[in-house]
Amino acid sequence: MDLETARSKSARAERQTILHTALLERRAELRQGWRRSITAECLENLDSAAESVKSLLSAQDVFHDWTLAGSHHWMDCQAGLAECLLSIGTGQPTRCWAAVVVPTHVSFVAFKKLSSKDRVATLSLRYRCPLNIGGEGESEIAEELLRQLMVTDRVKLKTGAEFDVDDILLKLNLVAVAAPFKRDLRFLDALNCFYELPPRSLSRLRRNPRLLAAWLCLYAQLLCAPGW
Amino acid sequence: MRVAVISGSLATGIRIASEVERLPGVEVVIVDCNVRMWSPLFRWLRELALVLKSFRLARKLWSYASSGKLVILDHPLDESESLERLKSLQCDIGLHAANVIYRQPTIDVFRLGILNSHIGILPEYRGRSVAEWSILYGDPTGVTVFFIDGGIDTGPRIILREFIPPRDCRSVRSLKMKLFGFDAILYRQALEALASNGFRYSHNEVSRGKRYYVMSKIFTKSVENILQAGVVSS
Repeated sequence: MDLETARSKSARAERQTILHTALLERRAELRQGWRRSITAECLENLDSAAESVKSLLSAQDVFHDWTLAGSHHWMDCQAGLAECLLSIGTGQPTRCWAAVVVPTHVSFVAFKKLSSKDRVATLSLRYRCPLNIGGEGESEIAEELLRQLMVTDRVKLKTGAEFDVDDILLKLNLVAVAAPFKRDLRFLDALNCFYELPPRSLSRLRRNPRLLAAWLCLYAQLLCAPGW
Repeated sequence: MRVAVISGSLATGIRIASEVERLPGVEVVIVDCNVRMWSPLFRWLRELALVLKSFRLARKLWSYASSGKLVILDHPLDESESLERLKSLQCDIGLHAANVIYRQPTIDVFRLGILNSHIGILPEYRGRSVAEWSILYGDPTGVTVFFIDGGIDTGPRIILREFIPPRDCRSVRSLKMKLFGFDAILYRQALEALASNGFRYSHNEVSRGKRYYVMSKIFTKSVENILQAGVVSS
C-alpha cells in the first residue's frame, strides 16, 4: 500500500468516526427527549404498540436491519402501511412475503403532479409493504419524496404554513425506510433536518401519532445503523 | 463580447466587472437587482454603505455610472419591465451574482446564456450545501462554471471546473467564503476560454451526480470537525 492510499484510508476512517460519534450523540439526545414529541396522549393513541415504541426509543443503540427482509422482490403484507411502519420502526417481525401480483409502474411525471390527498392515497396503496420503497425500480419515487420533503415541506413546517400532516409523515417514514437500502446520507439527513425543526413545528405532527411514532423509531434506529 | 454582471449588490457587481473587463474585447455592464425587494431607502442606504467603505469601489461606481455601464432594476428580474430593459442591453452573456433563480425568458435574453459559478464539482454535486457534502464524502471541493438552464445545476454546457482544496479552512463559513471568492477570477477564465479557438464544452452529465439539499446542523457540525481535523481531500 503506498503512502497516499494509506493516508486516504486513515482519513476516511477518521471522517467515519466523526460522523458516527455525532450520530450516536443525536441518538442519546433522542433517548432523553423523545417524550417531548410523543406525549402521553400520543402514546395512548398507539394502543398495543405503545410499549414497543417506549421500549425502542428508550433502549440503548440498536438497529434491526430491515433491508434483510426485502426488497429484491415486490413484497406484500397483511397489515396496513401504518402498522407495518410501526413494526419495522420498533423492530418487531414484519410478516411480508413476495407478492404474486406486482403493481404497475407509477409514472414519475404523474406522481409529481398529485395533490397531497391523492399522493397519500397512492403511497398508502403502493407501499402497503413499505420495504418496497427500497427497491431499485422505486428510486425515482424515493428521490422525489426526498426532494419534496427538503424543498417544500421543510419550509412549510418552518414557517408555520398549512400542510398535510399525513402526507409529510408518510414521506418521512418512506424516506427513513429507504435510507439503509440506498446507503445514501442525504436520506438520513432529511430526517436530521426535520428532527432539528423548532418543537413548535414538530408538535403539529402529533395529529397522526402512529406515523409520528413510527418515524421517530425508524430515525432512532438509523442513527445506530452501521456503515454510514 | 458584451457581458452583464447580474448582481444582488453594487459591491459584488463592481468586484466581478472589474476583473472581467480586464479581458480584451469584453464590454461589461452591471445589472443591479433588488433581489429581496427592499424599500428604496433601505436598499440605497445598504448599497452605499457597502460601496463607500472603500474609496476604490466608490471611484469605480462613479466610473460605471457615468459611462452608462450601470443598470438599476427596480422590478423583479422576471417581470416584463426588467426583461425589456435587459433585452435593450443586447448582451451575449450574463454572469450570475445575485441570489435568484432564473426563469427561461430571462435566460433567453442573453445570446449565449447565463453563466453560474457553482461552488461544487459538477456533474457530481448539484444543489445546495455542496461544499459541505463534498467534505463529508471526502471528495475534492471546487467551483464549476457552466451555463444554467431551467433546472437546478443541470445546464449541460460546462466551461471549466477548478479544484480548490479546503486548505486552511477550519469552518464551513471560511470554506464557502474561499470558494465564493473565486467567482470573479473564474468568470474571467471562463470568458477567456469561450473566446479561444477550438473551445469545446464539457458535458454536465446529470445522471452521474446527485442533487443535494440544505445540510442539517448535526452534519454541518461533523463537517466542521472534519475540517478542523484536516482529514479532507487535497
